[in-house]
Amino acid sequence: MLKNTLEGKGRIVGGAVIVLLFLFPLFLPRFYIYLVSIILLTGLLATSLNLPLGYGGIFQFHHAVFYGVGAYGAALTITKSGLSPWFGFVVAPLTAALLSLIMGLICIRLSKLYFGMLQISLGSLVWIIVYRWYSFTGGDNGIHGIPVPNVISSPNSAYYFTLLVTLLSLWALYKIINSPFGSALQGIRDNPVRSAMIGINVKLHQLVVLVIAGFFAGVAGSLFIVVDTAVFPDMLFWTLSLEVLIMCLLGGWFTFLGPMLGAAITIFMRTFVSGFTDYWTLPLGILMMLVIFFLPNGILGYIEEKLHGSLIEQTVKE
Amino acid sequence: MDVLYTIFSPKLMSQIFVGLSRTVILFIVASGLSLILGVLRIPNIWHGSLYMVGAFMTFTISGAFGGGSVGFWMALILAPLGVAFVSLIAERSFFQHLYEREHLMLLLLTFAFSLVFGDLVKMVWGMEYKSVPVPRIFQGSIHLFGGLPFPRYNVFLLVIGPVVAVALWLIVNKTKVGKISRAAAVDREMVGAVGINVSWVFAFVFMIGCLLAGLGGALVAPTVNVSLGMDHTLIMEAFLIVIIGGLGNIWGALLGALIFGLAQSLGILIWPQFGIVFPYAAVIVVLLLRPTGLLKSTW
Amino acid sequence: MLEVKSLSKSFGGFVAVNGANLEVEKGEIVAVIGPNGAGKTTLFNLITGVLKPENGKVFFKGEDITGLPSYEVCKKGISRSFQVVNVFQRLSIFENVRISILSRERKTWNLFTPSAKLAVEETNGILESVGLMGKKDRTTGLISHGDRKVLEIAMALGGNPELLILDEPTAGMAPEETSHCIELIKDLSGKRGLTILFCEHDMEIVFGIANRIMVMVRGGTIIQGSCDEVRSNQAVQEAYLGGSDAC
Repeated sequence: MLKNTLEGKGRIVGGAVIVLLFLFPLFLPRFYIYLVSIILLTGLLATSLNLPLGYGGIFQFHHAVFYGVGAYGAALTITKSGLSPWFGFVVAPLTAALLSLIMGLICIRLSKLYFGMLQISLGSLVWIIVYRWYSFTGGDNGIHGIPVPNVISSPNSAYYFTLLVTLLSLWALYKIINSPFGSALQGIRDNPVRSAMIGINVKLHQLVVLVIAGFFAGVAGSLFIVVDTAVFPDMLFWTLSLEVLIMCLLGGWFTFLGPMLGAAITIFMRTFVSGFTDYWTLPLGILMMLVIFFLPNGILGYIEEKLHGSLIEQTVKE
Repeated sequence: MDVLYTIFSPKLMSQIFVGLSRTVILFIVASGLSLILGVLRIPNIWHGSLYMVGAFMTFTISGAFGGGSVGFWMALILAPLGVAFVSLIAERSFFQHLYEREHLMLLLLTFAFSLVFGDLVKMVWGMEYKSVPVPRIFQGSIHLFGGLPFPRYNVFLLVIGPVVAVALWLIVNKTKVGKISRAAAVDREMVGAVGINVSWVFAFVFMIGCLLAGLGGALVAPTVNVSLGMDHTLIMEAFLIVIIGGLGNIWGALLGALIFGLAQSLGILIWPQFGIVFPYAAVIVVLLLRPTGLLKSTW
Repeated sequence: MLEVKSLSKSFGGFVAVNGANLEVEKGEIVAVIGPNGAGKTTLFNLITGVLKPENGKVFFKGEDITGLPSYEVCKKGISRSFQVVNVFQRLSIFENVRISILSRERKTWNLFTPSAKLAVEETNGILESVGLMGKKDRTTGLISHGDRKVLEIAMALGGNPELLILDEPTAGMAPEETSHCIELIKDLSGKRGLTILFCEHDMEIVFGIANRIMVMVRGGTIIQGSCDEVRSNQAVQEAYLGGSDAC
């Protein structure tokens, strides 16, 4: 009984949030619209990371590579090829997914830590090539003033585009997690040996999840171009990868919306703390420490545990 | 004879020596990282910050002593010790409580520390570049191989490198603590069961590893602009070196640093714009051929 | 149905399995016994693809399955439970068994149908038959050891196997749990016609339900025969000198 009411309440809250998100441009100033756009796409990035990380148990240490490659892929397609900009938005996730496939094939035969390390090496190579190839990628300046299609170039329309794409992507990811594939994935996370013993080809499933994660990271990358009309090499740097990891952990890496929450908190902190002082990484570091020691399952994870706990009490009483 | 001279041209040789000096710094930092990773199983991202702190402390200490040779030597001794002290406090207060948990948590904790220290350095030293003067005896260059100048300070580095390597080898292989830590790297519980206080061994190892990071920073200070952000690039390189060398293997760190340093300087010689890509490519080649590293790891 | 010939495996210098032989006929219940460290679990690991053998062969229904990875072995019709409990600890009991069924049905590549709607009846069926129906929504990380061992068997059943390999199914169980487990095994063999291979330390259980017994010592097979043959065999008696080895 209680579970149903919780789900019911959850749906109402969720619906209200979505309606609110659609209404934002009517009353929020431009800066906040930009901020929410950034939160949405970063949240998507974090959720895409959480697919292999929290649901698959794969320690994807350098997820930012796929985000950056997606963004650069779109930017370069739009600015260098003569093709329609919309084409760039298709190229972005596909390139990211392809890179994910290649890297996955190379790294997947290795166990956890070595997988992460090799990924970092490959990612660093990509970063440094982008960083040095000034003539093609703009080097450490990146590329600015990317011409986005007019229909989505104003701040509000960019926002709605981002909102729509993010909601669609989240819906797709949610479906995947609740599918048999998602169940198998969670099994692999909990016990790969057991999974193999019930007939699951572990490596193949992991490879597929990496490609999916790469794809949606690429989507997030192309959303960034819409919102910001620029790309920078920093989008490929390992510090971003770790920040995205933090977002997943902060919000709750065993929950679906945790990463989105983590992204929101992190970005809020960065924006508002740096309004007061130059030193915003320090509070983030301290927040991380608090989460690691006291909330290892993240904020949503903690809330869920509390609710689950009271659920069990209710069922025992009934 | 002429052929040999063309192949081993002065330019090439001097690039090789430059590469070797860079190797020394990379080795010192990477060996500390490797030690911590091999024995404590902590991927210590904080290592980069400690390197940076070592460099900044060198700036301050050498300035406090007048900026001359005395200042440099004092800094070379005090900066690493200061870093070691800080690391000990951090290990006892924070890290030791997480040993039972997943590597990911430890990694993220070290990342949190590096975030905090990144700002702390900014607060204490400000945002501008700092310069540390080269001590008098090492100023100037000696001339090698057909007249190309090679900075004396780099010669100093080429001497210090092997000294540190040998000292480290002695500590790890010949002292009691070293032997215990090697055993603990392989089987933590057994060592504890035999009645040895593993906890303090871990603290000691962590301290030595971080001291090396500080030492690397102190040594590099006179040769570069001491600036914010030096932690980020270095930690990435140090990690790659540790991985290709073999986790926990000091000689592996040396080998990795050699490959990395030489690939970089030779790369720049061959292809100036992208020379810096060579070490990363070399790392990938090594990892494809031997994913667990060139030399034996302790895992 | 299952034939193991001269299987060997060493780890570094240590020879874990040394030329082991085993035969299991369809419909039989065969037990593998031996002192601790005799290599029973390693043998099971070699058969089920968790480890690769260095020498020897494994045949299942006439087909050579030596060295196949676990998931292939499972698809051939062999399912297994583990000695050290190997379940999906963050998921519910129901989910654990359901995944096993979904895997058998090759549905794990389905990315879009909500799995909540799939395989519900069959999962319930299996849970009924092993007696876990009442606890099906509990998270497996939180249930008792005995229940987890039964869950192991339930998961193995999800694969609809022809051969069921059980590695110390009653280890660590309380007495009522143990007798419940024995009844379950008898049921599986008698009513469902499964071929069962298991290993145990409790001799009462072994002699109680096994048709044939294989004895392993130091990685090798001393004898495989009926209960009486094994009981009266001298080498076996020597190996077990000192009494029962129940642990």
